[in-house]
Amino acid sequence: MTNEQTLLRLEHVQKSFGKNQVLKDISVTVNRGQVVAIIGASGGGKSTLLRCATLLETMDAGTLAYGDLTVCENDGSGRAQYAGKDVLAKARTRFGLVFQNFNLFPHLTVLQNISHAPIHVLKKSKEEAEAHARELIAKMGLAGKEDMVPCELSGGQQQRVAIARALAMDPEVLFFDEPTSALDPELTKEVLKVIRDLAEERMTMVIVTHEMKFARDVADHIIFLDQGLIVEEGPADQVINNPQQERTRAFLSGLSD
Amino acid sequence: MDLVSMMGILLSGFGMTIRIFFITLVGALPLGVIVALCRMSKFKPLALVARFYISILRGTPLMLQLMAWMFAPYYVFGLSLGPDWKFMACSIGFILNYSAYFGEIYRSGIQSIPRGQYEAAQVLGYSRVQCFMLIILPQVFKRILPAMGNEVIALVKDTSLAFVLGIMEMFTQAKALAAALVSMTPYVMAAALYWCFTLIVEAVLNFLEKKLSYYHD
Repeated sequence: MTNEQTLLRLEHVQKSFGKNQVLKDISVTVNRGQVVAIIGASGGGKSTLLRCATLLETMDAGTLAYGDLTVCENDGSGRAQYAGKDVLAKARTRFGLVFQNFNLFPHLTVLQNISHAPIHVLKKSKEEAEAHARELIAKMGLAGKEDMVPCELSGGQQQRVAIARALAMDPEVLFFDEPTSALDPELTKEVLKVIRDLAEERMTMVIVTHEMKFARDVADHIIFLDQGLIVEEGPADQVINNPQQERTRAFLSGLSD
Repeated sequence: MDLVSMMGILLSGFGMTIRIFFITLVGALPLGVIVALCRMSKFKPLALVARFYISILRGTPLMLQLMAWMFAPYYVFGLSLGPDWKFMACSIGFILNYSAYFGEIYRSGIQSIPRGQYEAAQVLGYSRVQCFMLIILPQVFKRILPAMGNEVIALVKDTSLAFVLGIMEMFTQAKALAAALVSMTPYVMAAALYWCFTLIVEAVLNFLEKKLSYYHD
């Protein structure tokens, strides 16, 4: 396998909610080991794009493929045609998603939150799943919190549990939907550190974020999305420090950092 | 008649009261889940039938429903079902009536679970049934416990409606004793027994609530 192996392919994605076309024509390719950051103003379609990629929304038109697995393609009339249930189920094993507001299971302990899906979905043994979960808990700096429930943890700790929960499924691609938007600056730091560590391990990630400095530091590739279109994309440094498009410049100069 | 033998007669009726109580719970608790799922079904005719079912059962007196189950086989179908039918009619009446109330409480609980829980489960690959059984339902249980407590305590006292069918539960016995002895005492004793019963139910509910207080949302 080369580094150029394509893990995720989105082509000409279109999505409308009623009359409001949120995604107009978006194509994104993510290769193994790549960290892609998606930036842009609220309402620009960033989260919708992520929700289409993670099968939480169905797109109106376009292609979605995970590696050799084609999840959705246009039929003759140019409408998105989704594959069968088993293909969708298989596709779901290839990615993980970290939500803005964590969405941990409140009735389960930290250890159970992380090991539950491996046990019930992947049918791993309890011992194996819990051993793996404990490794991830240590890695996330949460040792000693195994038996706590989410409401006993800070937001930053909850988000790190959510990251561990996603990692426990061994995804090929990990999506983050504004992972620090619900956190104060101090807690943001600890979550960003964890994501940075994952980037150093060459975990393939797609991150929707408002943290420009973080995006520049951690991402290889940045996509600036505005009004349902990709306005500009390229190497992180270039897009943040030397944007070519007027709209990108206006967006970046409107931010404090 | 002395108090002890009065109590003995009331307690023999109390056994029947408890029987009606548990039969109703055993039947209506699971049936309520089906009612709730039908009511929330995306298949419109089914949802409509469930709405109608709930509306009728909540919108007419339980006493009338019991009478209807008791006499419908004879008046509508010309069937004479014998003395066993009485208890059957009582059980059906209570179970169906309570399933309508339970169903609506379940629905309120299920619909109060945030979308994000379903989405997290879906992304992790849980099937819809797994998501419902393993993620949603355990959380629903905690949320609906206070409302269910109300209904279960109401049921303790509603069992007395079985007197209209001449079933020998505690209220029927108390009425007969009061008439025979021309005394309030049997009613007071029956009231005390109903209250003791609800105290036990309250204790069980408190225990469950405490057990589930290890987390909050």
